[in-house]
Amino acid sequence: MTEETTTSTSAAGHYLSRQVIVASENGLHARPAGRLAQEAQSFEASISIVSDEQVVDAKSILDVLTLAAGPGHILELRATGTDAEEALNRLSELFKNKFEEA
Amino acid sequence: MADAIVSGISVATGIAIGKAYFVNRNHMARLPRQTVASDLVPEEIKHLHKAFATVEAELTAIRAQVPEELKSHASLIDTHLMMLKDPKLSGAAEGYIKSLGLNAAWALEKAVSDQERAFGAIKDPYIRERMQDIRVVADKVQTKLMGVDNDITAIEGRAIIMAHDLTPADTVELQVNKIMAFATVRGGKTSHTGIMARSLAIPALVGVDKLEDAVHDGDLVIIDGLSGKIIVNPSETELADYTERAAAFESYTRKIKRQCNLPAETFDGSRVQVLSNIELVEEVAAVIDNGGEGVGLYRTEYAYLNRTDLPTEDELTDKYIDLAAIMAPRKVVFRTLDLGSDKFISTFGELNETNPAMGLRAIRFCLKNPQLFKVQLRAILRASAYGNVSMMFPMISGVKEVRQAKAWLAQAKAELRREGLDYDPNMPIGTMIELPAAVMIAEYLAHEVDFFSIGTNDLIQYSIGVDRTNHHVSYLYQPLHPATLRAIKMVVDAAHQAGIEVSLCGEVASDPFCVPILLGMGIDSLSMTPQAIPGIKRIIRQTNMHDCRKLLKDVLQCRTVSRINNLVMDNIFKHFPEEVSFFSSLLENDELPS
Repeated sequence: MTEETTTSTSAAGHYLSRQVIVASENGLHARPAGRLAQEAQSFEASISIVSDEQVVDAKSILDVLTLAAGPGHILELRATGTDAEEALNRLSELFKNKFEEA
Repeated sequence: MADAIVSGISVATGIAIGKAYFVNRNHMARLPRQTVASDLVPEEIKHLHKAFATVEAELTAIRAQVPEELKSHASLIDTHLMMLKDPKLSGAAEGYIKSLGLNAAWALEKAVSDQERAFGAIKDPYIRERMQDIRVVADKVQTKLMGVDNDITAIEGRAIIMAHDLTPADTVELQVNKIMAFATVRGGKTSHTGIMARSLAIPALVGVDKLEDAVHDGDLVIIDGLSGKIIVNPSETELADYTERAAAFESYTRKIKRQCNLPAETFDGSRVQVLSNIELVEEVAAVIDNGGEGVGLYRTEYAYLNRTDLPTEDELTDKYIDLAAIMAPRKVVFRTLDLGSDKFISTFGELNETNPAMGLRAIRFCLKNPQLFKVQLRAILRASAYGNVSMMFPMISGVKEVRQAKAWLAQAKAELRREGLDYDPNMPIGTMIELPAAVMIAEYLAHEVDFFSIGTNDLIQYSIGVDRTNHHVSYLYQPLHPATLRAIKMVVDAAHQAGIEVSLCGEVASDPFCVPILLGMGIDSLSMTPQAIPGIKRIIRQTNMHDCRKLLKDVLQCRTVSRINNLVMDNIFKHFPEEVSFFSSLLENDELPS
């Protein structure tokens, strides 16, 4: 998966984005979704996850769960704000190590 | 007279008398739908956040106290904590207070139903089930908002726990020594509540429809786990009567328990094996304590439920070896995966059937997923080296299925041999007889396997075409239906004709009134919940085969269930008067809805 960070502009302004793949065997289930939301909440940046045409708030476990993203699913992380870059690094790291504690 | 008498499905027997204590009440039924004046909106929002914060503090405290061995449940509490902090719940509720002027409890309810809609569209049943967690969390907050501060952790003295539903997460929070009995609106025979209650040896009822209307906190209630009734605020007479019955039942239970290690042998020297149905390795203690001679049905699917990944072969093997080794030299019969119908695993979440009871379940599911099936077969084979292990296939409908399953088994054996892993090459193989088709071809199936095990719960449902959890038709679920009895008889005869043994592992096996009829048929073993063993052994020891054969003969000539019930009652009155007072409700089924 590409590690490239893209800078784009939308109606909401500038945002950074990065593609990630759901590598955990069972997709984004309760535990990984919870972990993701928890980590996302620790950043100032507003972070969203885009899957097909669905855009959800990465800080909401409920939102993340409603993506029902299965294994192999490709998602796009988008972040805007002061620590956007850092947030993307941290969250894509989580996807990469399959949400293991590390 | 009592204020009310409501009934449900008994999942653990016994009688308890005590004060009702509600947890997880479905507040929506009585939630006041109020709007707040605009100047009070900030106050209401404060109220909302305070309730969220209180629940969060409570959950955090509970989480800190979870003992090490229940850490897997603790992750559920983590999920709940995340949901509490989720802006989609608290934030959306706040939004509704502001925009619509709703009171906090209703605003939260609206936020929950938004989520319910979002989750309803998801196909993956595991993720859809998380909806229940949102419910649980929201319910805790609503409880705070409504000022009915009933917390599971705050029970004073001993109480009878009433709930809309009890989740495994709730039970982590329960202080078990304070609980006298359970009653819930939701739940079925195999729900968590039942397993929990049976292991605590306290009575429990599930599926009590009118529970939340009929019972209020602090009401004096009698839980009659024998007849499946709740008596709310009983009269003096009822109270006296039940106090006496509770004492009598307790002394009866103690008495039969003392004799539970005596053999299950009739007066005239006929032996029947009394085995147990279990789903957790931890239950073996109950099997042995209650005089069980082995495990007649180990439900292997439990290891697959409530998780997001599949168990590995080594994980299963460890578990199976534990069970086989602890029970040895007593036998353990492993039933291969019986998933589908009402039990699903998230890994195969896409399975969405309109008629799951007749769909891709049990052996059909395994034959379609041979990789998963093989893992289990290998684990059972590996355990067979450590004890007296047998294996059986559920939901067999024809000879070909048995042969296919056996072919996978042969392949698993060959692999183990090549890998130098030990197993018992003579491990007995059986089929469950649960479908009318299997009954009708029992003589053919008998040539394919070493034993039969009749699963009466499914057999009755499929024979009579009745879903016993469906209120409209559950009255038709009759163990003593002439068709059911004939079916069982056919299977026993076919097995014995072919020289193989036949066991019965449905609820009928633990019904003291049905057992003499089964003995009359010559059944070789009966398998039941561990708690039923002492009572059934006593019945067996108090009878003789001559009487049982006579009863069977008379019963097989009856054309209606009520006629059979009468005959069985007469027999019981004559031979087992003590049981009548405790178990007569088992025969209350009649052919017409009342």
